Amino acid sequence: MSASGRVIAELRRSPRPIRLLGASGQLGYGIPAPSFRAGIERKPDLIGCDMGSIDIGPTYLGKGEMATSPQATRRDLRRVLQAARSLDVPLVIGTAGSAGAAPHLDATLATLREIAQADRLSFRMAVIRADIPRPLLASAVQAGNIVSFDGMPALTEADIADAAHIVGQMGMGPFRKALEADVDVIVAGRACDTAIFASLPAVLGLPVGLAMHMAKIIECGSLCCVPGGRDPILAELDHDGFVLESMNPERRATPTSVAAHSLYEQADPFTMQEPDGTLDLTHARYESVDDRRARVSGAVWRDTTQPTIKLEGACRIGERAVLLCGSADPRFIAQCKALLPKVAELVQSLVCEDQPVDYTLTFRVYGIDGVRMVVPENEPPPQEIFIIGECIASTPERAAEVVRSCKQFLLHYGYPGRLSTAGNIAFPFTPPEVSLGPAYRFNVYHLLRVEDADSLFPVEIETMSNASAPG
Amino acid sequence: MKLSDIAQVIRSKNAGPRRLTLDIMLGSDADYQRVVQSPTLGRDHIAGLFRVAAEDVIIIPYPVGRAIKIVLARQVMAGDPGDRDIYGAQQHAPLLGIEIP
Repeated sequence: MSASGRVIAELRRSPRPIRLLGASGQLGYGIPAPSFRAGIERKPDLIGCDMGSIDIGPTYLGKGEMATSPQATRRDLRRVLQAARSLDVPLVIGTAGSAGAAPHLDATLATLREIAQADRLSFRMAVIRADIPRPLLASAVQAGNIVSFDGMPALTEADIADAAHIVGQMGMGPFRKALEADVDVIVAGRACDTAIFASLPAVLGLPVGLAMHMAKIIECGSLCCVPGGRDPILAELDHDGFVLESMNPERRATPTSVAAHSLYEQADPFTMQEPDGTLDLTHARYESVDDRRARVSGAVWRDTTQPTIKLEGACRIGERAVLLCGSADPRFIAQCKALLPKVAELVQSLVCEDQPVDYTLTFRVYGIDGVRMVVPENEPPPQEIFIIGECIASTPERAAEVVRSCKQFLLHYGYPGRLSTAGNIAFPFTPPEVSLGPAYRFNVYHLLRVEDADSLFPVEIETMSNASAPG
Repeated sequence: MKLSDIAQVIRSKNAGPRRLTLDIMLGSDADYQRVVQSPTLGRDHIAGLFRVAAEDVIIIPYPVGRAIKIVLARQVMAGDPGDRDIYGAQQHAPLLGIEIP
């Protein structure tokens, strides 16, 4: 019998609180070894890891690349895989490879296969893909089953064709199916963070509201504690509530710190929409067990009558090149917001001559408006500024040409009152122009109404056989 | 007194790529009551600070966490050309100087 079958059978035979270890809120950036070891010593019934997010922006999804380095990703995967196999408990990984589309999932699987071979590990693995077929989406557009939200424009068939990858956020259904298929490891493409941890309790018949609330908290590791951090966290869930405990002794889960975590990256701290239903925290209660542990209860779950899957897709918008430079000249700084568009005009006249403009060139001026989306009027000028000139063009060569011309003409641009006639800007290094590869934007961020959400996320089983060497 | 002198946490982050959520957390119930009742944390004042329409601002008091949540529509979707803060983690600055009576 494999790990999920064993754990489910054991907990059904002799019910007790279920222990879940939230090993990492973002696998591939390193897991603190002492707190992970402490978590393993507590013999959790499941080790779960979230591996991705939409927060990292559209480029990883579009390009099919991970945000984490291959070395750190392998180290983290090896750590959690070895621990799960030594305890013989399920390892559940969601949003594989940062964005959870086919190339991200495949790269994660390749690393796991390579680790299994090197460490001579044998196990049964469920693989759940999250890519949503384009013909299905085109039909959904025609049938009016795609819903816009948060002010996103209506999805078109052109958007579907343009997107490099389109994934759907799976809920608990596919994970439950995988757990019931008697596996040791589950690796899912784009998935709701909650499904990683809530699915096993749901299979065992524990209240879904409590399981979801717990999952929402432990998918971020010890972020719900004071001081918050990325250490693994242990949750013990029973039929009436759950107890949270960071595996780093310095982090304390207090009623206020845990309650406050419900705010994190959420627009509404009381109700949260999941593919399978709604989590209602209006009557959630947070109590202290001791100075390091909090007990949470009271969350309520309402199953949905109309399953919806959140879609994410990114399309290529061109090739990006940037110019990096700064200035310490008070006269240049005072006038730069007016000067930069003039430099852009001059560059355009040179690189376009008679042809139409085929690129965008924009500037962020750090010290003035590089970071803030809203800048108050009449702020005193800074002593230094840093400028990023960003070009997006159809080819890498064209983008590089624009930022290189921009560098030269910004350096020597003449303006009224100029004293520093040898150059307007400082370069921290040369070349100060950097080609960043293809640029993407999210062009799909919509809800798909479906009858059977689980059918979008097929569960495949793969067996790893790497028997130990004789002797 | 300025909000940054009272609050324990003042932070911003994306709530999905099209919205920004700002959290203000207080260390005591008294501080929470003082801040949550302040007219300078009303919808109109916050809309003015972030230069958005008042109807695009949502303010949610969250007493159990001694916190106040503000939700705004992002003017530029996260990662679109011209975005300045993909995670939205540095848009809290306009809140720091809010005067609390």
